[in-house]
Amino acid sequence: MRLTAFLSMAAKVVLPKDYRYGMSRPWTEAAKKRNPLGKARRKVFIEPIASQDWSVFKGDTVEILAGKDKGKQGKVVQVIRKRNWVVLEGLNTHFRYIGKTWDYRGTYIASEAPLLLENVTLIDPTDRKATQIEWKFTEEGEKVRVSSRTGRIIPKPISERCDGIVTQQWKDGPKDTSPDDTLEKTYVPSLKTLEEEVMERLGIQEQRRPRRSYWY
Amino acid sequence: MAATSAGRVLALCKQFHNVVRISSTIPSQNTGICLTKSSLARPNLLAGAACHICPVVQCRPLHTTISRMGLEEFFDLPDNWGESTVKSGAPWTVTLLRSKSNEELHKLWYLLLKEKNMLLTIEQEAKRQRVSMPSPERLKKIERSMQRLDKVVEERETALRLLQTGQEYARPADWRRNLFGKVVWHRFREYAIPWYMNATYKRRRFYTPSFVKPHIRLRMEKNLRTRARQADLEKKQLAKLKEKFPQMKASS
Repeated sequence: MRLTAFLSMAAKVVLPKDYRYGMSRPWTEAAKKRNPLGKARRKVFIEPIASQDWSVFKGDTVEILAGKDKGKQGKVVQVIRKRNWVVLEGLNTHFRYIGKTWDYRGTYIASEAPLLLENVTLIDPTDRKATQIEWKFTEEGEKVRVSSRTGRIIPKPISERCDGIVTQQWKDGPKDTSPDDTLEKTYVPSLKTLEEEVMERLGIQEQRRPRRSYWY
Repeated sequence: MAATSAGRVLALCKQFHNVVRISSTIPSQNTGICLTKSSLARPNLLAGAACHICPVVQCRPLHTTISRMGLEEFFDLPDNWGESTVKSGAPWTVTLLRSKSNEELHKLWYLLLKEKNMLLTIEQEAKRQRVSMPSPERLKKIERSMQRLDKVVEERETALRLLQTGQEYARPADWRRNLFGKVVWHRFREYAIPWYMNATYKRRRFYTPSFVKPHIRLRMEKNLRTRARQADLEKKQLAKLKEKFPQMKASS
């Protein structure tokens, strides 16, 4: 147990208290280059927003309120909660070269810069204009985003699962259990432990008695 | 999305493993399919009742392929050999596992274990050949399924133990004072001899000697100082944030 704990400790990334999160994940080389171990970078103040109050999710369409692309609407591609950042697809871009080698200047691409949450707002689906959002409860008890101007519910965008499974298009493989078998309820509560029940089923009779031992 | 949970789950692909409808006394090989077929072919046995578990004494599984002493189970299905990605379903969730009987959980555990062994073999072989393992997320899914299964079994055990004995924990333990003046939850160990015959145990002291008192006082002072400093720091940080973001909510 201690060895696995030690190995998991070694694998886990330990970040200092005032770590400055960037666009790259903390374990990548680019992030390590920007935040070298032992060096404290200048502190950035991030407005603390509770997770219940966060209203912009990946896949939402939002409008930019300030900056180079003010007034444009775009889809959210990435959300970085640690910095209150939102990355929109193809908006607020700057240009850079990637894949540079000693003889090749690299590919010139447009890369999106993140936007602060206070500089974007959600869009009302009815009139496709920017609107402020409130979190309200429906009659069923579901928490939804409601536009303050029109009162229309803004549905949460359908995000794909991290394991890449699309439920409508799924076909069971040879090793997958069918939905009927998975949902079948076979549990009958009884006063027997798992071991006793299994032994009964398999017809195992344990004649040996445990040796006397002491716990202290 | 689909409102009802049943609709959602039915639409979802599920799981890891062969249908768990194997008779109890069968030595588990990859003959699950063969057995269900054979059990269906004998309608004289309790046709009406749901006899998933029929006495299997008469049925012998037929080996049509060369059985390499079961070693083929350490490897993936031949269709997946050489593929760069292998499709796999979602892992078992706690809600699903809670509805299964103990016997099914027991079988599922071994199926998951065998699948895990197979994936670990693939991982090790990939390391040996210095190539990337196809679909390593399968290992994570298996690991999580097994952890959740263990959790469900532990829940059932705890419930039974609480009912029958009133004990919260399976392993005996107690609050004991240690040398440093702290009262700790001392988890007992199993020994073959009683405590009064155990020389190393008798040398341990479960009380605080009097010379430790000054140390306890200093420790208390240190704790108070650190806590006061932390509270101060948090207040200062909150004040600074309030100054920068006047519209933020009070809770940090």
